[in-house]
Amino acid sequence: MSSISLSNVTKTFGGADVIKGVDLSIEDGELVVFVGPSGCGKSTLLRLISGLEEISGGEIHLGEKRVDHLSASARDIAMVFQSYALYPHMTVADNIGFPLKMAGKSKTGIEEKTREIGTILQLLPLFDRTPKQLSGGQRQRVAIGRALARDPQIILLDEPLSNLDAALRVDMRMELARLHRDLKATMIYVTHDQVEAMTLADRIVVLRDGIVEQVGSPLDLYLKPVNQFVAGFIGSPRMNFWTATTNENGDLVLPSGVALPLPCKPGALQPVTVGVRPEHLVLAADDGTATLQGTVLSVEHLGSDTFVQLHCGFGDPAQSDINVRFGGIVPVRMGERVNLSVASPDNWHIFDTEGLRIEASA
Amino acid sequence: MPPSLAKKIAIYLGAALLALVIALPVLWLFIMSISSSTHLTTLPLQWWPDSPTLENYRSLLIYAENSPSQSFLYAIRNSIIIALAATGLSICAAIPAAYSFSRLPGPGRKNLLYAVIAIFMLPPVALVLPLYTVMSALGLLNTHVALIIVYCSILLPFATWLLKSNFDTIPGDLDEAPIIDGANRLQAIWYVILPIARPALGAAVMMSVLLSWDEFFYGLLFTNDIRSKTITVAIADLAAGRVADYGLISAAGILAAVPPVVLAFFMQKTLVSGLASGSVKG
Repeated sequence: MSSISLSNVTKTFGGADVIKGVDLSIEDGELVVFVGPSGCGKSTLLRLISGLEEISGGEIHLGEKRVDHLSASARDIAMVFQSYALYPHMTVADNIGFPLKMAGKSKTGIEEKTREIGTILQLLPLFDRTPKQLSGGQRQRVAIGRALARDPQIILLDEPLSNLDAALRVDMRMELARLHRDLKATMIYVTHDQVEAMTLADRIVVLRDGIVEQVGSPLDLYLKPVNQFVAGFIGSPRMNFWTATTNENGDLVLPSGVALPLPCKPGALQPVTVGVRPEHLVLAADDGTATLQGTVLSVEHLGSDTFVQLHCGFGDPAQSDINVRFGGIVPVRMGERVNLSVASPDNWHIFDTEGLRIEASA
Repeated sequence: MPPSLAKKIAIYLGAALLALVIALPVLWLFIMSISSSTHLTTLPLQWWPDSPTLENYRSLLIYAENSPSQSFLYAIRNSIIIALAATGLSICAAIPAAYSFSRLPGPGRKNLLYAVIAIFMLPPVALVLPLYTVMSALGLLNTHVALIIVYCSILLPFATWLLKSNFDTIPGDLDEAPIIDGANRLQAIWYVILPIARPALGAAVMMSVLLSWDEFFYGLLFTNDIRSKTITVAIADLAAGRVADYGLISAAGILAAVPPVVLAFFMQKTLVSGLASGSVKG
């Protein structure tokens, strides 16, 4: 296993810049997840690292070695495809052994290694079957087994769980986490699923329009998003945002006129955007101290959580409907008027007109 | 709902009728081949010879100098050599060509493909004179090589087109996976793409052999004696003498059908297994 570093990597497809100068370094044994909206370039970046696409500029180093000029087959990088891309005419054993065969390993060496991988992934009983005789989860495990066979420097996974049903996805996610722990493999994982990103990643890379918006641990991204985009992208339901102004005392004021008790002075009368996550809003007493008031538009009871949509009726129409997530079962009804406050001043996120985070410091 | 009895009967009757339409001419050819020539010319026509004879087959298969058997056996040999060589060469060239047309980018590539197909559509009559001059200048007339070259020019576009449309159906991930696994492009084709495309490959081989086996026009013009005459030309020669021996011609026709039938028999498994596994996606 090995570390990998990207410096100023760019990719242009027929005049369109898809990747616009990405700098990133990934430690040995780390599991890094690329997330971002569709079309953000996360899969392209993965393909650039794999060598399936050539970079237009910059450098890629694997450990000490520069690899961006090498072909995909010479980079010693394995990849798990979204479609699995198993070889349909080969048995499970031959599928897993294929990279070893290409590496010119002896027959006994291949058999030994495939058995070892078969044991790790519990595939031994399926060794003589062909891919069409396997279920989705089994195919996925074979694809992972094939990636592990060569003991590659890096394993790339391109939305590996997106073809599985929900229950299987959870199982495979845990299995991947276990594999990563046991093998201490360097992995790069592309997904659009936040839960996968948050649960699997050592670090998450948030991409937008070919640019890295933020790199950090899952909780870093959740607690201290560097800009409004990351704040909105990480977390589900997404963060509520309002445009706020500063009054003559320098306090932040919501469009509803409520002043926020925040230790933050963004400067002279500048409009800012404030955000708070749906799960950080709590029910408040109707005694005039509440930060927000609203009418319940919809209630979704999940048992473990209650998702509520409120109409607050102030400010920008796009900002007047907000999401709230209560833990457990909360007896609110449609049309009811509720009062909310924010659990802790730390739960407020403030962004300037450029969308950049303003630290809540005095 | 299972099909009703009437429907079943109709389906079987239809199938039987179709089989008859295809099989009857062959059956008639066979009956003619085991009849004596006098028998075939008597009126009224008899459906089955009084005394079936294998004499026609004997005179074709037992070698004798300056007899129909000499030209027939040489022609079979020539046809086998030419058909196999032309097929082998064409398929070997068609595989990389089809892969390139199917997988690699570039507008020039596509135009080239259309150009190839357009030329393929030209009738042989349009090409035969210049080809004859070229072959003559090269001293290749009346050789196997001449026909192999000409047949390759017919088979190559055909096989390329057939394989290309099949390669198109193979997901691109199956090209990239072997490359990630450490294979080079040729290994990816050999170990992954070709085995998946095996049914199409089988069909391309079958059709190519048949096309060259049945070809008559160039064979007639570019060959003139037993050293290179193909089976179609040899059969035509049997009919071109002073007296056409229909029994002999029929026997030659039946025998000429044997090699392709044997080939089809052995390739059947490939073709059918392809139908079943074609639906598997990676």
